[in-house]
Amino acid sequence: MAKKFRITNNIRRFRFFANEMTQQQLAEKVGASRQTILAIEAGKYSPSLELAFKIADAFDVKIGEVFDYEVYET
Amino acid sequence: MSYQEKRTIVSIITGVIILAAYIIYSYGRYQTGTISSDDLKVWAGIILIFIGIGVISTIIIQIIFHILLSISIAIQENMKTGKCDDKEIEKTINAQMLTDEMDKLIELKSMKVGFVIAGIGFVIALTTQLLNYPAAVLLNVMFISFSVGSIFEGLTQIYYYRRGIKNG
Repeated sequence: MAKKFRITNNIRRFRFFANEMTQQQLAEKVGASRQTILAIEAGKYSPSLELAFKIADAFDVKIGEVFDYEVYET
Repeated sequence: MSYQEKRTIVSIITGVIILAAYIIYSYGRYQTGTISSDDLKVWAGIILIFIGIGVISTIIIQIIFHILLSISIAIQENMKTGKCDDKEIEKTINAQMLTDEMDKLIELKSMKVGFVIAGIGFVIALTTQLLNYPAAVLLNVMFISFSVGSIFEGLTQIYYYRRGIKNG
């Protein structure tokens, strides 16, 4: 069995706690498009380290609190 | 559907129409006997004309697309807020048209697909000469493979926007 890993995130939860911040508002804060935020949130796109830091910074938390990775076997 | 997806669909449709127009026109002329397969000068002229038509029509269609997109955004904003604020509309348009790292990554990956198809077409075009096909076949295979490569580049973009893309 091969080990694979996927990046997970808590962006939806953090948006909720940030006064139900919209994807568009977060996108504007980090200089990305809403489409990209939507893809990251859905786990369809793994952001660059720079964008990941910007997202964490937008919520005023450490990057590890927003993004994590899990190992799974296929 | 995002702005990038809509723009790509418009590009694909334009590409398909131009390729179809070229095939119908050139094949029609070849069938009627007005050009022969050895007349390279005429074939080169036709291909150059269609490249010109392709560039100009792509620019015109993209302009029309952006005008229609702006109008639709203005109507949506008007329906949502009940007023037509130019600054708000401009802000929405700029936000939709923003190109970021994901768009660039998708563009790079899909461009690779386009280049591979064009490259395969180039090899096939050269092979036709080894197999003693007329020189016009070389030109046609190259032109068609570049066009098909460009269409597949667009289709790959749509695929990545829908399915998602992993970084690295």
